[in-house]
Amino acid sequence: MDAEDLRLLEAFRGGEESAFAALVIKYRESIYRVARHMLGNHEDAADATQDVFIRAYRALPRFDGRSQIYTWLYRITVNLCLDLRSRLTRLPLLDDEESMRDLPAGPMIEEEAAGREIGRIVSRAVAGLPPRQRAMVVLRLYQDLPYQEIARIMGCSEGTVKATMFAALRKLRRVLAEQGVRAP
Amino acid sequence: MTMRCQEALERLVEGLTGSVPPADREAVIAHLATCARCRQEAVELEATAARLRESASFTVPPGFWPAFMNRLTDRMAQDRLPLLARVRRWLGSPRHAWATAVVTAMVVIALSAAARLQPRSATSPDPSLVRARGLVTETMTVTLPSLAEMLDIWRAGMTEVDPHLDALQRRSP
Ligand SMILES: [Zn+2]
Repeated sequence: MDAEDLRLLEAFRGGEESAFAALVIKYRESIYRVARHMLGNHEDAADATQDVFIRAYRALPRFDGRSQIYTWLYRITVNLCLDLRSRLTRLPLLDDEESMRDLPAGPMIEEEAAGREIGRIVSRAVAGLPPRQRAMVVLRLYQDLPYQEIARIMGCSEGTVKATMFAALRKLRRVLAEQGVRAP
Repeated sequence: MTMRCQEALERLVEGLTGSVPPADREAVIAHLATCARCRQEAVELEATAARLRESASFTVPPGFWPAFMNRLTDRMAQDRLPLLARVRRWLGSPRHAWATAVVTAMVVIALSAAARLQPRSATSPDPSLVRARGLVTETMTVTLPSLAEMLDIWRAGMTEVDPHLDALQRRSP
């Protein structure tokens, strides 16, 4: 396990609540990013990120330390998001008005507007993937996790991750082409 | 698509979406050198991966993270309360009076044994205190006032105050 995480874990077990806060600060942005890609909007992602850390807070005393803390946190996040999604029959609600990309302030030129539009199309395409496929794409593309780690998080074989990623990328290529999105 | 193509493209996707070992990369390049169909597919998959990565960043509203931490801290505090309430109710029922007495006695025995067996060193943290930290939880000191009292007496003999035990006792009623 990551040496810094191990120190924080031991401090937390020794009764230092601030060690847990340090873990939250370290991983909250990654967890939020995964949740936001999975759920499609800020409100749901913010709530899910809260719930992930509450679950982690309850379960951390029993965490066995055999995996990395972040692998464990991602597993909680993915399960929670899959669970939330399965309870909603509608497609994820996307932030349509909100910028999906960090754009500079000031009057928007045509190119930026086009960039925003493409960002929306890409988000919709990712949101349209079956939930487990979406989770794998998010963990790989946006968190750069190795296939082996993704397999551990998703509870499947590395071969499944390989095949699923290939299928997902081909599907996304088709969807983006249908929407008229070409190479950058 | 042949099995070799499938395998090559799967590896290609792994490389396009993140990092892969150099050996895998070379195997893919070797296949692409001989297979025009996969070369065409590779170009398109690469463009797709680039598009997906490009629209990856999100913004959060200003002040979001401090508010997030406050809410989380509140929820963590609330999370501890129902457990205490449950334990208090459990301890309040007469059929658990014996169990409470036994638990208290065991804790007292364990703590005094720990204190007797481990001689204190002047420089390093007292091992008996370290051991006691593992034994005494906040729930125990709050729900068992006699234990808190006993800790006071036990600690009176110590020159060095353990901030953890100190904090626990300040929190207990
Ligand atoms: Zn081929």
